[in-house]
Amino acid sequence: MSAGLTRLWERLPLKKQAAQSSIRVFSNQEQQQQPEVEDDEEFRVLSLRTVKQQFQRRQQVRRDPITPPRTGRMAVDQDWTAVWPGPRSFHPASVPLPLRQGFTERGAAAPSKFANAELMKIPNFLHLTPPAIRQQCEVIKRFCTPWPKGLETEAKWQRHFPVEVTTTDFCHSLPTIRNPEARRVTISLKLSDLKFDSHARDKFLRLVGDRYNKDTDILTFVTDRCPQKKQNYDYALYLLTACYHESFVTEPWEATKSEADMEVYLFERNQSKLSAEGILNWNAKEGAPKVAPSKSYANCVEQLINEGENEYNLGKYKEEVKKMLNIA
Amino acid sequence: MKMIRNRFGSLSRVSVQLQRHVQQMSTNAAVAPAEGTTINEFRTAVSNPGEHSAVQVAKFYTIPAEQKKQIFGGGGLPKQYEQQIKTFTEACLMVRNPALELLQYIKDTDLTKPVVRYVLYGENGTGKTLTMAHVLHYGALNDYVLVHVPWAPNWMKRPKEASNAAGQEGMIDLPFDAAAWLVHFKTQNSQLLQRLQLKTSKEYVWSKRESTPAGSTLIELVEHGIARIKYASETTAALIAELKQLSTAGQCKVMVAIDGFNAFFHPVTRIFSDNKQRVTPDQVTLTQPFLDITNYDWPNGVCILSVDKIAMTEGHMDSYMPRYLLGQEGFEHLDPFVPIHVDNYTDKEFHSYISYYLDRHWINKTPQGFEEQLKFMSNKNPYALMQLVRAL
Repeated sequence: MSAGLTRLWERLPLKKQAAQSSIRVFSNQEQQQQPEVEDDEEFRVLSLRTVKQQFQRRQQVRRDPITPPRTGRMAVDQDWTAVWPGPRSFHPASVPLPLRQGFTERGAAAPSKFANAELMKIPNFLHLTPPAIRQQCEVIKRFCTPWPKGLETEAKWQRHFPVEVTTTDFCHSLPTIRNPEARRVTISLKLSDLKFDSHARDKFLRLVGDRYNKDTDILTFVTDRCPQKKQNYDYALYLLTACYHESFVTEPWEATKSEADMEVYLFERNQSKLSAEGILNWNAKEGAPKVAPSKSYANCVEQLINEGENEYNLGKYKEEVKKMLNIA
Repeated sequence: MKMIRNRFGSLSRVSVQLQRHVQQMSTNAAVAPAEGTTINEFRTAVSNPGEHSAVQVAKFYTIPAEQKKQIFGGGGLPKQYEQQIKTFTEACLMVRNPALELLQYIKDTDLTKPVVRYVLYGENGTGKTLTMAHVLHYGALNDYVLVHVPWAPNWMKRPKEASNAAGQEGMIDLPFDAAAWLVHFKTQNSQLLQRLQLKTSKEYVWSKRESTPAGSTLIELVEHGIARIKYASETTAALIAELKQLSTAGQCKVMVAIDGFNAFFHPVTRIFSDNKQRVTPDQVTLTQPFLDITNYDWPNGVCILSVDKIAMTEGHMDSYMPRYLLGQEGFEHLDPFVPIHVDNYTDKEFHSYISYYLDRHWINKTPQGFEEQLKFMSNKNPYALMQLVRAL
């Protein structure tokens, strides 16, 4: 209604004398009728300038009142394993200890445990307190069998069980309980537990290749070619057995191994032995027992060739030669 | 007393100077002055290597000129050392431990036992050749027939001439080198051979018209080889086989000294065969007799061999150790041998050598600490020291 009134005023043939009063009336009307303009759906005023009222107030986040940490309510003789049953990152309100960790400026105390990222970063063993371990051991005790008699010491059990089998079980919360890694079987044993002659040992080492660690004397088979753990275990034992027995087989072509094929220098099968014998048995009578070169001489020649020359080996060789040839 | 000695020293120095002057003036400087009078603390008057002992270590002894000419006339001393000898007008050798050790072994050798092979080894320029020279001097004075090869690699690296061997298929003769070696053998041993009157055991037929009958002396054999250069290689082989037989029979004792012995086991030589391929050392006719005489199968002798890095060629010079330089084949040939390490100078030897240079007026300027400086720069290596103080 008021809008119609305004239009009426504008449409009127304007008289200069009435202009003042009309403007006054308009301003008066605007002040009084502004809320009514918004309600009117037909006619809305375009306001180019932002009006303060258009800002929406930010919604206040409702927060629950902060409860005090429950450490204050903990009993002194509570069951800690119930509070902290498994591995978990640090939580200040659950640990009734006045812990402090972290770096601040000089002279100030280290930051307290609340909202302390340093304490959360480090692994903790609060679930592995001695009572917790004791408790768990008590629980799993009923699944244990008594320790077999005669295996009291490590030497004993290593003698009776020289082969060590390593497998891994995986436990997930997944739709499947299978893990492809679980099929892998590793068996290891000391090579000194197997009995060889020199030929068999040499051949065995060639067969197993880098599965044998020379420094630790440990032989390791890792099998994962079968889908099941049991199959892989059987296969590993088969490999061990087959290699062992194969190493005792002497093929006809092995006799053709020449000096160039030898992996180490052996005094016994070389010219050095013939020379040394020739010198030691110089002018010996027919039928006299042959003098063989001494073991130490043979060793030092082997060492000189196999380890390579250095002043030490050469000096040792010199001493042995002098001893053998009776020189000063 | 001290004053008198000083005066005596200065007098003797004057006399040395005079003698040197005379030598420079005279055209034939064959006879070196007897300088037994100038006994400094770095010299020894004992000129017989057989009498050298630990007392004379690091001291110089003089080889008389005529002996030097006889033993080392055809080589045996390094070229630069030879020049130094000429400059200093005396052939001085330092008594060093490797040589003493070797001499001790040789003196104690049971000559009825198979020959013992001694192998000198060491870094470049440590004095292997001079150690051998010292021992050769001993051998010459003690009636050893010397079978001395001054530098075996010469045959494999720079032979005078190579021709196909007549009798043996695929073998290479080095006639001039063989003849040169026969000359060297003759100069070293002619007096001794005259005295011993060694005879050949069988007849050597060189061609239809030429032959050396059984029972002729070794001198005749050698002279034939020198006169008929074509047969020099075969003569060498015959001579060495004869010497081996004679020493087995106990008629003479033989000292074999081969410098750069590992050249006989080098993979290749610089000699080309007819089809322009490098031959291996075992295809050279000179190799076989010298390998033969370094074998252990004869008594009444001694073998001194040296292995040297510079006897090898590029790519085979990584180590100075005997097994490396000889290779598998060479090691098997010599084993069991007695390795003798020739090392750099000790402090005492170094000081002695500097004193010798000062005495010879070879080092003129002696600023503060020059000895330390030389020691540092040469690392007490004999050859390096000689190079540092050499003439421009």
